[in-house]
Amino acid sequence: MKPIVVLICGLLLLVGCHTPAPPPTPDPDAELIEKGRQIFFNETFDGNGRTCGTCHPAENNFVIDPAFIASLPDDDPLFVAEFNPALKENFENPRLMREFGLITENLDGFDDLANKFTLRGVPHTLGLRFTIDSSLGPRTGWSGDGSPGDGSLRSFATGAVIQHFTKTLNRVAGVDFRLPTNAELDALEAFQFSLGRQQELTLPLPLKGTVANRGQAIFNDLTLGKCSACHFNAGANFNPNIPFPVTGNLNFNTGVEDLPDQPQDLTGELVPPDDGFGIPGDGTFNTPALIEAADTGPFFHNNAIETIEGSVAFYNGDAFNNSPAGQLIQQATGSGINLDGTQVVEVAAFLRVINALENIRQSIELLEPVARKSHQTVEQGLQLLDLAGRETEDSIMVLSAGGLHPEAVQHLKEALRLTRKAKRSIFSKSHLARQAIEQQQKARAELVETS
Amino acid sequence: MLKHIIIAATIFILIFGAFSVQAEKSTEMFIPIGQSPGLSGEYTVMGKIDQVNARDQSIKMSGPSGSYTVRMTKHTLIYLDRSKTQLPNSYGTLADCKVGDMAEVKFVDNARSKPIEWIKVQKAK
Repeated sequence: MKPIVVLICGLLLLVGCHTPAPPPTPDPDAELIEKGRQIFFNETFDGNGRTCGTCHPAENNFVIDPAFIASLPDDDPLFVAEFNPALKENFENPRLMREFGLITENLDGFDDLANKFTLRGVPHTLGLRFTIDSSLGPRTGWSGDGSPGDGSLRSFATGAVIQHFTKTLNRVAGVDFRLPTNAELDALEAFQFSLGRQQELTLPLPLKGTVANRGQAIFNDLTLGKCSACHFNAGANFNPNIPFPVTGNLNFNTGVEDLPDQPQDLTGELVPPDDGFGIPGDGTFNTPALIEAADTGPFFHNNAIETIEGSVAFYNGDAFNNSPAGQLIQQATGSGINLDGTQVVEVAAFLRVINALENIRQSIELLEPVARKSHQTVEQGLQLLDLAGRETEDSIMVLSAGGLHPEAVQHLKEALRLTRKAKRSIFSKSHLARQAIEQQQKARAELVETS
Repeated sequence: MLKHIIIAATIFILIFGAFSVQAEKSTEMFIPIGQSPGLSGEYTVMGKIDQVNARDQSIKMSGPSGSYTVRMTKHTLIYLDRSKTQLPNSYGTLADCKVGDMAEVKFVDNARSKPIEWIKVQKAK
């Protein structure tokens, strides 16, 4: 009995003596970012119970889609229109929200709520540092005009609170919600800018996969795929090598609204056309980044297309080629976009691989503090492991669904097993996190040449 | 090729107005006077309405920075801020702008030489 007591005491002593390794160079904005994180996920602004995280959950790449929505309990604030009588009419369309992940927006005014609205998907909030700026000012939201005030990301939360957080349709500040303070807007902006990648990709990447590599070549070929004209380096900015009067993140009318069989239109529900930027709208929508695309569908402002392959194929169709943006491409290059079936899949494969690479980068970034024991609390460590696991699940899904890189998928599955084990472990979290990182690195080495 | 792109881009810009800076206008209506993020205190002017001239669509205001006259156009939005009385804000007309009301104005392109893009008029009762 005595040796067991001694052993237990020894173990407790070891645990008690554990001193976390010092964190790497502290981010000067770390405190502000953490404050923003707390606000983003916990602050309801005295409204209907929703937070920013209601529609931008960290565990689902900061987006909501029908599968995620189906996993929520019926009393989740997302469904406030289903249980708050004051918001029952003209606040959301619960059917279209649950079936297609669509949110109601009154971008053209609040004077005719029953008839004047748009239904849009939720864009993710990753990599925002590179997806907002244009030479004419900031572009936020699906149509680039999503923020009130000065139109910046910092101001976005003010408009979101008014649109989505209100207790009643009167939308009286101080009664139905409170507006974010300047300090809160600063913190929210810092937090949002901290999400996702902090660097642009530089294409071409030395990809190992034959199909994805061909997809990358098509993507970058301004006479074939022509994708990199508007998505330079698979991001959200116009190609700076093409002379154009404006630069950065631009708006285009790509004809998505002209798709003949949009899923929500097939339901018989009222779905007014979305006129995009401005009041009245000019039909244009903002260019999103593609690095984060493959695991953040459905795609386009109205969630019209479920798969990444379908989204690439969209640019072959009449809706795009007859659109103002399609016409611009034709005038500039002498032809529209006409990819065949294999080429569509190849471009999609490229998008899947760069998304998996970004997920791997994020997974490693999340695992590192646990491996170094530099996280602040046990709870924070568990959150990091949880998010790392979810990113790894995304990597597996994105590659497997495209039939890509089975060897990498095996490494990722092992990384996921180790990450989950680390989450359950009391004494070996750091060791297991290090092993998971090694598996992530092996997976990455299957996708791209590493120096 | 480059020439074609430039010509096409120019045509595109002439036809489509997607290259103007624009913030969301619809929720601006619900933001009380002096609280517009990134604008209030930096690019807007607040003051009391001293005179309303319906004939030339102008309003004379006075505030901490002095007295000034702002011009309106048919595109100027007039927001009535009733949040102090806990009533919903709404759009208004020039007739709703009364002498003595507190107001906030935002100029087109944030340039004080230009007409105003919007005016918020606080209705305290």
